[in-house]
Amino acid sequence: MKNKLKIERAIKDITQEELAREIGVTRQAINSIELGKYVPSTILALKLSRFFGKPVNDIFLLEDND
Amino acid sequence: MKTKLLLPNCFKRPGWIILIPSALLGLFIIIFDYDFSFLETRVFTIYSGSFPLKDSGWFSVIESNLTNTIVGVLFIIGAVFVAFSKEKTEDEFIAKIRLESLLWATYINYGVLLFCFIFFYAFEFLYVMIFNMFTILIFFIIRFYYMLYRSNKSLGHEKQTEN
Repeated sequence: MKNKLKIERAIKDITQEELAREIGVTRQAINSIELGKYVPSTILALKLSRFFGKPVNDIFLLEDND
Repeated sequence: MKTKLLLPNCFKRPGWIILIPSALLGLFIIIFDYDFSFLETRVFTIYSGSFPLKDSGWFSVIESNLTNTIVGVLFIIGAVFVAFSKEKTEDEFIAKIRLESLLWATYINYGVLLFCFIFFYAFEFLYVMIFNMFTILIFFIIRFYYMLYRSNKSLGHEKQTEN
């Protein structure tokens, strides 16, 4: 799974730390998602979607091997 | 992982304070086969079938040395506090690392035990069993904190590229 979290964050111009605080997770979680090392739960994905005001499908994208 | 199954974060520091001295003391008493003579006392036991025979039987009081007991109990309490108390901030990512580390520690622990089962016999195997009582907690703590350290380290890297 790919994600555009870093891009979305750049558009909103907020740091990992700020985003983590807004969503209520650790900065490590945001960082690991951005690096593609961690697939967030549905709840976390929905919270990110709500925060950026975009559908989950616009932030997280399935890849061929998923 | 439901965080209500974890101990509060305030258990972490006392955990380390109990764990480190009892681990060092434990190693010392195993390597030098040392017993504190003032801990020689009569204790209640559920079953004692070994030497001396006069004390054998169910629910009896026997003469024994409490050095191993006390150090072992302190080690387990300290290790459980360190291993299963909450981090300062908890989330699903930390929970995932914790769960993975637990699985990893169980595999390694039983891998080592399997190896020792095959290659150690009789009295030497008793030492294997003594260590094995504690290794699963040790492996878990090492792996869990190593993974937290690694994810923190990759944060530092991100910070630099961001600026």
